[in-house]
Amino acid sequence: MALQQKYQELINAAKTSEVHNLQVREQNNVLYIDGEASSGAVKDNLWNIYNKIDPDFRAGDLVLNVNVKAASGSKAKVVTKESNLNIRKGPGTDQPIVGKAAHNDIVTVLNQTSQQWWLIKTDSGAEGYAYSQYLTPA
Amino acid sequence: MKKTIIHLTLLVSLIGGMTLPSCKNKKADTNTNTTTVDTTNTAPVVIANDDELTKGVNDATKDFPGVTASVNNGEVTLTGTIKRDRLQTLMQSINSLHPKKVNNNLTIQP
Repeated sequence: MALQQKYQELINAAKTSEVHNLQVREQNNVLYIDGEASSGAVKDNLWNIYNKIDPDFRAGDLVLNVNVKAASGSKAKVVTKESNLNIRKGPGTDQPIVGKAAHNDIVTVLNQTSQQWWLIKTDSGAEGYAYSQYLTPA
Repeated sequence: MKKTIIHLTLLVSLIGGMTLPSCKNKKADTNTNTTTVDTTNTAPVVIANDDELTKGVNDATKDFPGVTASVNNGEVTLTGTIKRDRLQTLMQSINSLHPKKVNNNLTIQP
């Protein structure tokens, strides 16, 4: 319960913002917060609160797993720092690169294969798996 | 006398009948409260196995050349150096892999 008190502001924010299937659980002195955020902004807001309560995420007492859900057929923006986003044959960095999407490009999400890897298609027709960290619903 | 007993029985059953629904309401209220509190979910947290985690951390740290990640019994330990403005991005990726715990031992550069 002590951890839920420590992260109360974060839990409250998750409850009041659009986070679906929210679960807050404590197990072996680690707090687990899981859910699906309606947008990248909601997710980032939660992470900013996390960073405020536990600066630089040093305590190792929280696993915050709130991911952004993108519907099949929806558009997503490439949010790499500045470089191109690799599109791969399969879901893994060990898979060959089959195409690239430019920084700030808008692509179509075909399928959220996993939380980490989304199957996407670019306007120029390149299709494959991209790391979801570099995509945000547009 | 017999009449009084019958009356009494009627009265008791009437009171009983009246109190029961209110008890039911009370119970229903409690149930509604508990279902809205997410913390009552007691399903155990599923932790990814070390092979899945190792593959996941390799993908997540690929674009972070100064960072090394090791996996042991569900715990992910991050060592090396990282720029502060990139830390949150990396932590978001690692936290989505279903680790048991994330140990951030990174040296953070401004």
